Amino acid sequence: MELRKPPPVRRLTGYEVPSSPPSNGNGLHAAAGFRLPARLGAPSMVAIDRMQVEELSVSYGHKPAVQSVSLPIRQGEVLALIGPSGCGKTTLLRSLNRLTELTRGASLRGRITLDDVDVAHMDATALRRRVTMVFQQPNPFPMSVFDNVAYVLREQASRRPRRAAVQGAVHEALARAGLLDEMAGSLDHPALRLSGGQQQRLCIARALAANPQVLLLDEPCSALDPVSTRLIEELIAKLREDVAVVIVTHNLQQAYRVADYVAFMYLGELVEYGSAHKMFGSPREQRTKEYIGGAFG
Amino acid sequence: MDEDDLLEPDRSTAQDRRAELSLGALVFAVLALLLAMFAFVLHEGWPSFAHNGLGWFGGGGSVDQQIQAIFTSGDLKTTPVYTFHAWPLIWGTILITAGAVVIAFVSSLFVAVFLVEFSPEWLRRMLDPVVRLLASVPSIVYGLAGVLVIVPLIGNHLITETEKASVTPAIQLSGASVLAAVLILTVMIAPIMIAVFADGLRAVPRGWLEGSLALGINPWRTFWKVGVRTARPALIAGTVLATARALGEAIMLSLVSGGVPFAPNPADGFPIFLFEPTQTLAATIIRNGDQLDSPPMKHTLYAIAAVLLFSAAMLSLIGWAAKQPMRRYGVVA
Repeated sequence: MELRKPPPVRRLTGYEVPSSPPSNGNGLHAAAGFRLPARLGAPSMVAIDRMQVEELSVSYGHKPAVQSVSLPIRQGEVLALIGPSGCGKTTLLRSLNRLTELTRGASLRGRITLDDVDVAHMDATALRRRVTMVFQQPNPFPMSVFDNVAYVLREQASRRPRRAAVQGAVHEALARAGLLDEMAGSLDHPALRLSGGQQQRLCIARALAANPQVLLLDEPCSALDPVSTRLIEELIAKLREDVAVVIVTHNLQQAYRVADYVAFMYLGELVEYGSAHKMFGSPREQRTKEYIGGAFG
Repeated sequence: MDEDDLLEPDRSTAQDRRAELSLGALVFAVLALLLAMFAFVLHEGWPSFAHNGLGWFGGGGSVDQQIQAIFTSGDLKTTPVYTFHAWPLIWGTILITAGAVVIAFVSSLFVAVFLVEFSPEWLRRMLDPVVRLLASVPSIVYGLAGVLVIVPLIGNHLITETEKASVTPAIQLSGASVLAAVLILTVMIAPIMIAVFADGLRAVPRGWLEGSLALGINPWRTFWKVGVRTARPALIAGTVLATARALGEAIMLSLVSGGVPFAPNPADGFPIFLFEPTQTLAATIIRNGDQLDSPPMKHTLYAIAAVLLFSAAMLSLIGWAAKQPMRRYGVVA
């Protein structure tokens, strides 16, 4: 299918595109209309190839959602998928741990590998244990804070472990998600009574308790306030050392703040993939330039 | 319901107020009716309880003979006789109801889980209306099928001659039995449970199930630990509903359980005691319903009704109480 032309550039009145892109100090030039925010943390020194997406196409029935996308996912780096609504970024994310299989009528072509093994040949449950996911809406289970995190550990054990046996791992996961100090006295409180930001960090703690190699985040901050968003972004910046992080986001500032690599998708196609500096500084493609300039989406 | 909400004068328009008042009045009318019913049944049954004390619930003598004596004493205008020891009826009711509810609960849970989560779409579309149809079949139809098919099957093929001989002086094993009653009652209440369970399971937010799958928990465990766990209030509601229906079932059970007020004795041996006939409380009311013109008989039957009513009320209360701790963690269905 031939890609449709992007819609014409729409400008708000009084919105001036600077004729010469502003410099952000270190010689980088921002794309038209996009002000570069401060970046969180420095990229990790070592990047390990974890997953490879090769010529991936996903369609729901006859409707294509993702079309021949190829990109690498590395531990030590955060990859952000950006693009307007319905561009296939969530579908791409969900196909990484085969959650697309839960959708009726979804079909998938191409290859995704995890540590050089085709995920299609792996047991779906085993794959999802190594590639865990956090969703757009915080979805803690209707249990206590402790049990939410312990759930994964208990299910992974062959016999149901005692509370004391999983306590250390639960605390560690909560600490990694920056929740342990806040939750210290209230581990037995219902998780659904927490604030939205705490719920989402609990979901991240839960996803980390499984000790995954890849962490998928589907617009994790879109339902949250700026303070919670900030906390989660700092968390993501810290996590990239131990896990490969893929984040889908609508928020370009966020993508710039946390990501080392950015993939811009439009109408199911991967338009451009590159380092965050390059994508926000001097994108190659016209469509990327327009999107980052706030023209459409 | 909060009275303050109903009587709040400002903000709401006159129409809203009228609607609120009439709905509130309706609720109170239903409550009043319920209370009046309890009071009436308890009052009418009181003489029977007063004469027998706690012995009413105990055993002793033949229930058939007691009922005969109670009935004739009213007829002869002599001193009314009230002596009544209902234990065989209570035991029969407990055996049949508990047996059917336990079997139906386990099988319905598996069927509902399969129906909601694991069955292919075409099968689900076929089974859904079938379950709802089965839930609405009049119980007498089940009773007839039981008498014509299940009872002879048990009497002719399951019970051996030696088993019949072993209890011969006490009771006759014809096939109409606890087993037949439990089997048919199970078939009768299982569709109700399946329908309510399936609705509860379907109401479990997909986000929780997907969240669990995305953590690498296999689909079966996910559905068990998150789906069924979340749907527990619906499981309780369905069980209470089905148990109440089982308790109140009269005609069908009087057909297939033998209609003999005999307390099946576990000491008779495991399969045999299930082949023994019995009679439930509700079936006793039906079988003697034509004797209400005898005052002592009337009071005795009302006493039975009071026990049934009280059991059903307790059942609802237990169900409500069991749901309370679940609310704490936000399990609401």
